[in-house]
Amino acid sequence: MAELTIGVFSSLVGSTTLASAVKIAEAAMEKGHKVNFWTSGNATALAKKGQKKFQDYNFLQDKILELIEKGMEFTICEACAQARGMLKEDSHEQMKRAAMDWYLAKGFGSDRMLHIGGE
Amino acid sequence: MKLAAIVSDWRRTESTLERLKAEKLGVILVQNGVYHAVLKEGGQVSPVLGKEGAEYYVVKEDLETRGFAEADVDGKVKTITYGDLVDLIMNDYEKNAWL
Repeated sequence: MAELTIGVFSSLVGSTTLASAVKIAEAAMEKGHKVNFWTSGNATALAKKGQKKFQDYNFLQDKILELIEKGMEFTICEACAQARGMLKEDSHEQMKRAAMDWYLAKGFGSDRMLHIGGE
Repeated sequence: MKLAAIVSDWRRTESTLERLKAEKLGVILVQNGVYHAVLKEGGQVSPVLGKEGAEYYVVKEDLETRGFAEADVDGKVKTITYGDLVDLIMNDYEKNAWL
């Protein structure tokens, strides 16, 4: 088993970039790898409670919670979330909040890092 | 260095690819990047497919989402699953760049 850290620094909820990142995370876990998942910027909205499923719209929250249950570590940039008015109580408690140090530490400690940059 | 460039957009990224130097280069087409594997302009394949010595891959699920089939894919591009993509990242290439 190896370790993969994925960082997404772009994308609003519903974007295909976030959907692809989650598909890669799921595929890696199915192969027995440990996955760490970090979001910055607008991608932190993935952690917000109360999101609604719409037809033909990427709804990723259930899948992320399922992957967390299976061992994925999911953390959002705390400052990015705060800057967007998303407080700790607005986020799912399984989705952690931390400073960028978390992402850097996970990246350095992983076998591979997939950094998906900003738009 | 063994480098995988993951191309996610239909934007013309060949100039970026041209500047990438690697002992082994893989170009993995995902999301709207899959159009490089199936569309032609003026009868010519996408310049993204023109990097000499590179291995090319396209994610089947992203192709099918956009209404294409494996039969539409250029002959130099191998069709893969998301699981295969993970194997490429974890086993075949040491570094990756998301374009």
